[in-house]
Amino acid sequence: MPERATPVLALILTLLLAPLVPGVAARTRAVLTGRRGSPIWQLYADLWKLFRRGIVYARVTTIPFRLVPVVALAAIVAASLLVPLDGRTSVFAFPGDVVAFVYTLALARFVLVLGALDTGSSFEGMGASREVTFAALVEFALFLCFAALSVVTHQLSLSGMAGVTLADRWMTAAPALSLVAAGLFILLLAECSRSPVDDPTTHLELTMIHEVMILDHSGPDLGVILYASAVRLSVLAALLGRIAWPVAKLAPALRLAALVAALVLVGVLVGIVEASMARLKLAKVPLYIAGGAALSAFGLVLLLR
Amino acid sequence: MTLLWIGLGSLVLAAAVQLALRGGGRADRLFAILVLAGAALGIATAIGVLRDGTTLTATIPSMLPGGNWALGLDPLSAAFLIAILGVGALSATYGIGYMRYDEEIAPWPSHAFFALEVAALSLVVCARSVMPFMGAWELMAIGSLLLILTEYRHAEARRAGFIYIVATHVGTLALFALFATLARNTGDWTFGALAQGTREPSAARTAVLALALLGFGVKAGFVPLHFWLPPAHAAAPSHVSALMSGVVIKIGIYGLLRVVWLVGAPPPWWGWTVFAIGTFSAIFGVLWALAQHDVKRLLAYHSVENIGIILMGLGLGALASAYGHPALAAIGYGAAVLHTMNHALFKSLLFFCAGAVYREARTRDLELLGGLARRMPVIWLAFAIGAAAIVGLPPFNGFVSEWLVYRGLLQAGQSADTLRLAVLGTPALALVGGLALACFAKVAGVVFLGTSRSPRADQAREPSALLRLPAIVIASVCVAIGVAPPFVIGVMLRAGGFVESVAVDPGSAADVSRSAWQVAAFALVLLVAIGVAAFLMHRLRVRVSRRVSDTWGCGYAAATPRMQYTASSFAAPLLDVFGAASGVRTHRGPTVFHSEPFDLALDRAIAPAWASVRRVAMRLRRLQQGRLRTYLVYAVATLTVLLGYLVVRGGA
Repeated sequence: MPERATPVLALILTLLLAPLVPGVAARTRAVLTGRRGSPIWQLYADLWKLFRRGIVYARVTTIPFRLVPVVALAAIVAASLLVPLDGRTSVFAFPGDVVAFVYTLALARFVLVLGALDTGSSFEGMGASREVTFAALVEFALFLCFAALSVVTHQLSLSGMAGVTLADRWMTAAPALSLVAAGLFILLLAECSRSPVDDPTTHLELTMIHEVMILDHSGPDLGVILYASAVRLSVLAALLGRIAWPVAKLAPALRLAALVAALVLVGVLVGIVEASMARLKLAKVPLYIAGGAALSAFGLVLLLR
Repeated sequence: MTLLWIGLGSLVLAAAVQLALRGGGRADRLFAILVLAGAALGIATAIGVLRDGTTLTATIPSMLPGGNWALGLDPLSAAFLIAILGVGALSATYGIGYMRYDEEIAPWPSHAFFALEVAALSLVVCARSVMPFMGAWELMAIGSLLLILTEYRHAEARRAGFIYIVATHVGTLALFALFATLARNTGDWTFGALAQGTREPSAARTAVLALALLGFGVKAGFVPLHFWLPPAHAAAPSHVSALMSGVVIKIGIYGLLRVVWLVGAPPPWWGWTVFAIGTFSAIFGVLWALAQHDVKRLLAYHSVENIGIILMGLGLGALASAYGHPALAAIGYGAAVLHTMNHALFKSLLFFCAGAVYREARTRDLELLGGLARRMPVIWLAFAIGAAAIVGLPPFNGFVSEWLVYRGLLQAGQSADTLRLAVLGTPALALVGGLALACFAKVAGVVFLGTSRSPRADQAREPSALLRLPAIVIASVCVAIGVAPPFVIGVMLRAGGFVESVAVDPGSAADVSRSAWQVAAFALVLLVAIGVAAFLMHRLRVRVSRRVSDTWGCGYAAATPRMQYTASSFAAPLLDVFGAASGVRTHRGPTVFHSEPFDLALDRAIAPAWASVRRVAMRLRRLQQGRLRTYLVYAVATLTVLLGYLVVRGGA
């Protein structure tokens, strides 16, 4: 397999397998709580169904509401170009692209929040307000992780930070890097609206965060938004996998296998967390994120000392 | 340089036209043409200086102390001059349309002051010796005061003007002390001569650097010296707010950079102080912005935030310079200048949009607005671009300068000396970005989306072309810089390298400009992705049935506009996280939630301190009876004391 093709292959693989990750999480949760649960490819079936369903637009909505699926998909895919999904290099890299990664995800969030406020619904306003609150704190913590990775690898781009150098640094800075990886997992759950921050399966609008913002989306619009969320989860899962377990020095085929393994493993981990603890009270979520930030901050302090 | 003088002359002529004709349609047209033409000439000169990296100079003979007046245009002043003239001219044009809404005030004096203020601002950045600098500085301060007082009939404007004039003169006092320290050994007051004695570490140099922080800090408005900014920006007409926020406060940044240029690589303590002030201002500026309900006060606090981001870049430059990394210093200073330019653009754009909303809906209260996207689509589009730019989202100009600051900070993290602690600025900057996103989601959502919350919002219409065109022009520039950053990053690095007094080392300049092209490529990728996604979405949508219905209300069908989420509720969870530091008083009842913002510096520290000064002063007032008798007693008593002193000293 040619070395240059692997980043593209890894991207295609991630885009294809993305709906599997929430499925794996849901199945793990079901098994651990003593149910059989839905098949792991449930989201593929849901998307297929939604793409053929009709759309209902709320009367008050304007352009932002219709832009939500477009920008969410485009921004999340564009951001995933910057991630070394194959464990070695990304499709596109430049110094400081980590900023582009976080801010492009923020662009998707900005449009999602505007779409929610566009409906004039107080439920969606509530969800939007919670989303921006937790996202601000998560971005802070996320940059503690990236700063630590940049300091330890002396790289400015994501593919440098999670690429070849990182594998060597694990030999010398394992404690700090473990803290950073643990912090990143905590943040991944918050960023992707999974338990214990948000419960994707809840049925009460008042308690939701991500789901309540897309209450009024339907048909293909909803399908694309769900797919984009799954891609975001998968990309972060792949990034976490490469930081916790750098595979840059393996053969290309093995690295692609490691990508699939990372997606499944993170899916299982998310499912285990969901099965073992309830959603936190909203007022406790900032403390949870602060916990993730503290782990990464300790990692960073160990590296800067 | 001649072109620039003609340009500035044209600005003065524009003011003269307004004064001579006492306003009217013909005066307004002439005024707009003269201002735009003058600005174009000045900008052309400045672009030439930035492109070639040259320095233009001129000298005016003078009999006053301090020798001849030196004037000049170098890459640093050229960068600021472009912002001053560009934003100034567009704001002046916008102001013509804006002032027509108010029939009680004759607008022509205000227009004339505006043109003179822009000319004074240009002179400040061109001055190269103390006399013209302080003269232009005071003209600028007084011009700002007159502009804030445009609506002097409102008590709010008079109070804002008073706070402003006190604050600005505290700054001026510090500048007098600064220049007195610099000029204590020389009769030649040109900047070049002043720089000679202060490039080595000394007590005087320390004093100069500290005084610069106070004197220029009041103008820049970083926390805690920001207190004059929100009232002034809220009370002034919107085009004045645009100029004040976009340009006038940046003169403080210019001053700091000029002082660094004068005294050379600053010591580490100064760099860390500036960096810490910047971080602190950025976080608290945006946090306090989140608490505001008055859209113009909110934008004013965002200026505090952005000044913080600029100072983080400036601090990084100073630190890199202090620890001996000239290439990184150029990036830090360059990022500061670039963010100054970008903030001038998107902040004036946002003030233009806020002004259009205010004039059309006749309120600045967020809680009374809503649903304006349908009524004023052009202003909404411009506002959305400005909001995305100020939050720092790609592919707009705010992202480019924030990326440069982040990049510099991450690069600092790799150095072996204490400088690497600057990497801790990245999470802070990320928090600021997240809070800014929350704040602008709030403004955009509450003002433009949903349905209107009061009849005032229903009467709003798209404003006239005089209000729309300047907004469209600036919004296009924001997109252009975001999509094609290499053109501006190169010249800003030249300005940054000029401050550091080194030619930017070609290797690192090439490195930065290569990554600027990569940022441009990423912006293009993002735009293409959006295009492809829009196409796919369209294909999916046309294949299925589409209909329109009510918003989902959990089965409740009689939803009213009052049920929408309010600005107070939207911001409440984030403000709760920060507790008492968030500067907001909340009232929670079974049926109401209401929040009232206050300024921690002005309302909690400066106003109480001022009150106690007044209390002491009131006691002294008993001495001032206004009766001649009492004063004669004082005079005799003083004479007796002085004579007694002479007697005791025994005629020595």
